[in-house]
Amino acid sequence: MFFKQILSNIKKNRKNNGLFFATLLIAIVAFYTLLSLESQDVMRFLKTLEGDAIQKLMLLVPMIYVVSLFFVFFLVYFAYAYQMENRRREFGLYLMCGMKRGRLFLMLMCETILNSTLSVFAGIPLALLLTESISLTTARLVGLGIIGHQFSLSSTAILGTVAGFFLVQLAAMLILSVRFCRMDPADLLKPETKAVVKPASGKQGMFSFVFGIVLLAVAYAMGVTLLNAFGILPTLLILIFGSLGTFLLYRGLGSFIEHALLARKSQKNGLYTFTGRQIQESVVHQHSSLAVSSLLLLMALACISFGIGMGFGRTGADMRVCDFSLMGSDEDVTAFVQDKENQSMIGDCYPMFIGNTYYGDSTFSLKGIVNAFETLPEDNLRDNIVENLLQNEEYNDLYLIPLKSFNALLVSMGEEELRFDGNQVAFYNRMAADSFNYKELWEKAINAGAYVEFTLPDGSIEKFEFLPNMYYNNIVADRAITLSTTLIVPDDLYEACARHVTTDAGEAAKMSGGISNSAQDSDSSTDYDSIDNVKNPFAWNIRIREDIIQNQGLLPAIMEMQTRLDRSNLSYDSYLGGIGRNLFYTVAASYLSIYLGVLFLLIANTVLVLKYLIWQKKNHGRYLTLMMLGAKKKDISISMGKQIRLYFLLVLGVAVLNSVFAIWSMFTSFVKLPAGTSMQTVVILACVTLVCFVLVEVLYICIVQHKSRKEILALHVSERPE
Amino acid sequence: MNTKRILQVQNISKTYGKGSSSTTALSGISFDVLEGEFLGIMGASGSGKTTLLNCIATMLKPTSGKILLDGEDISAFKGKALANYRGNKIGYLYQSFELLDNLTARENIILPLSLHGVKNADAEQALLPLAGHLDITEVLDKFPGQMSGGQKQRVAAARAFISAPSIVLADEPTGALDSKNAKTLLDKLSSLNRQEQKTIVMVTHDANAASFCSRVLFIQDGTIFHELRKSTKNEPPTMFYERIMAVIAQLGGGSANVL
Repeated sequence: MFFKQILSNIKKNRKNNGLFFATLLIAIVAFYTLLSLESQDVMRFLKTLEGDAIQKLMLLVPMIYVVSLFFVFFLVYFAYAYQMENRRREFGLYLMCGMKRGRLFLMLMCETILNSTLSVFAGIPLALLLTESISLTTARLVGLGIIGHQFSLSSTAILGTVAGFFLVQLAAMLILSVRFCRMDPADLLKPETKAVVKPASGKQGMFSFVFGIVLLAVAYAMGVTLLNAFGILPTLLILIFGSLGTFLLYRGLGSFIEHALLARKSQKNGLYTFTGRQIQESVVHQHSSLAVSSLLLLMALACISFGIGMGFGRTGADMRVCDFSLMGSDEDVTAFVQDKENQSMIGDCYPMFIGNTYYGDSTFSLKGIVNAFETLPEDNLRDNIVENLLQNEEYNDLYLIPLKSFNALLVSMGEEELRFDGNQVAFYNRMAADSFNYKELWEKAINAGAYVEFTLPDGSIEKFEFLPNMYYNNIVADRAITLSTTLIVPDDLYEACARHVTTDAGEAAKMSGGISNSAQDSDSSTDYDSIDNVKNPFAWNIRIREDIIQNQGLLPAIMEMQTRLDRSNLSYDSYLGGIGRNLFYTVAASYLSIYLGVLFLLIANTVLVLKYLIWQKKNHGRYLTLMMLGAKKKDISISMGKQIRLYFLLVLGVAVLNSVFAIWSMFTSFVKLPAGTSMQTVVILACVTLVCFVLVEVLYICIVQHKSRKEILALHVSERPE
Repeated sequence: MNTKRILQVQNISKTYGKGSSSTTALSGISFDVLEGEFLGIMGASGSGKTTLLNCIATMLKPTSGKILLDGEDISAFKGKALANYRGNKIGYLYQSFELLDNLTARENIILPLSLHGVKNADAEQALLPLAGHLDITEVLDKFPGQMSGGQKQRVAAARAFISAPSIVLADEPTGALDSKNAKTLLDKLSSLNRQEQKTIVMVTHDANAASFCSRVLFIQDGTIFHELRKSTKNEPPTMFYERIMAVIAQLGGGSANVL
């Protein structure tokens, strides 16, 4: 009989409360998605490339799991609280029919366990479907055709999901069951008494409201101006001011609404005053929940923006310039490239020369650049650049790339060649790829008339002006070398000033005599051994033929070439490493922060919805009185629609405003947009994110409106309690 | 004496449930209420008095019979006409006040006018004399949570009278009040009835409250058992009270049946 009762309760609750079960399913999907990360196609692929990094990332997962547990607990707690509120009369009746409190408690806990089991059976397939779709989509997006998709049912993830889910459910239900089972039947049977409405104390409330706004404004200003340095103290102050400001703002919002209401109500009729008072009351009674929801939404927006920014930034930064950079003797490289089988795959092959003035006796002067920078407004970044330039000059340390090499790279990428008109050079800095500000500042200095002077070996001094743009394309396949202050110079200037730069592999080749011997043979016009080496490229860049990439896909083609290279003696740098790192950053930063963002978004909205519905349930008596006084159900529905929209708007408005400043601060401090990121793309991306966010919110508002309207339509004046 | 019949209750029956499990609450009650009358309805618990009041208030539909207010059949009202009837034609005074606790007294009182399109500023003009009469001017800007029970019920009374309805229905209005506040309320209702010619129908099982009425109907088992009128307009409540008590004593054989 007892068990039958439990089963019938579960069935009835599931029918009446779709929102509650949707919440439980969200919790399961959230846990499984996180815990099954390791078995996703992309992660399995990454393990082969960036094993250590993946290991470190996997150490992060349990931490995020614990954070998720904490937040999902609130989600489940509010879902259960809503359900228990709806059933309080039923509990009162059980007690009055002679059910012991202990038995009621046992019944509720049994219901929870059965509910959880049912939810797990429904939720795990749903979670699997979602994770498999994510896995397939990402695999397809990054072209992981070669490893193929594998259906992955991670048993540890399932165990973790079930354990976490049950833990959260039982903890939430334990707290609520104890609370409800301790109540007297009379308290359970009568509709819950509404808290006595206190008028929002005018002056105190307004002070809190205004002070909240001031604190928020201070936090915004500090975020935008001070976060550049990313010190602990400013960050901490911004967080304290921002959170405190939000709480105070909501605390005083009731008074503000009162003022706004009183100012206009004499000219209004209908349910205007009632609607206003309802909103005011919801704010006065729930100001803490509103503040928490608003901050959660802020966190959601910030996490999602961070995730998109990081993922997007990385993808933009490491553009594919070539597929391999080979380091070895000319003979070895030529032998490899001219091999018939290899030749059929190679589209472009060109030498990349890099030199440095450090080893030679020519000198240069960067005063023309320093002076140009000094005409720009003072700024930390500007000072850093100037300091670096002065150091370059002091140590006679400047990297040079000959124009022919750089043009070969551009042509291979299908871009236009650079052309120098007279004495011109171009500025190159790989670091600029990660910083929009850096690139912007350099281009300003160039436009302000920056120039460089070289003292040639014959003692003559020549002045060179800069091309208007700066360059930052990677000059090798991945990370064989990362250059900062570098000039792309005319070939004759390079020949005159640059000395050899080599990698360990190149050095090894030189030591073995391969390159240096041949170089010495071909150059007899100079007394310096090292100058001979200028004739030797830093690396040979290879790009696979486009038609092969079209047919096979980029990754399979690169992996095939890599297998061939592994068989040769050549050391090489592969674009695959770049892809791996890109994917790693995308997955580590984007996936996890977007995951947390979506989780926060769902929790904030669900808490908001459930809190509203619980509060509204207590208002049924008011609606019945209104109907008795002659209000039409349609008017009440309209008033309720306004209440719901304003209730959400009050939370969303502050959250969106907060996040505008948060995201602004974030992107001007620790998250740098890569250079070359078009503002149009950024704006489109921001708009798409915002539209998705608005759609999610509209969906939640519609759910609440639909549910509320249904409840209003079901009300009858004869239900008025006697 | 005004002989205009404001309310005509014609052969009203009300049955709850169907078949063998049905219960008859009212079985063929008929009576009229004249303009300016203060009618009391008394009866034991379960006698059907609240069902009768709820039928008049359109909170319940009678199984058969007709209720006419100002000559119009209220059972035909739907939608806008029904809302208009509830807000304009009748005023309702509940035992538990039913004030909206997030509105001030002022906002609660003018709510029926506001719901029917009257601007709040205009509604204030009707409010002030009524508030003075019911002695609630000082609490107009307070919320219900800040008022005493008596003040709440007088605010509720002001809300019932604000739209100048044809009739005010009061369901045990003194049920939740102490004797002092109950007397104050009844004095106010009585003076509104006498001075402003307001028509009031009050359900009560309190003989003391009923003694303020000009006529009392006694209901038993869904039918009218007896009717008492004040013999003269100025018959003192104490005398009327004695006569009411005498009927109650007869009603079902003793007072145990009444309360």
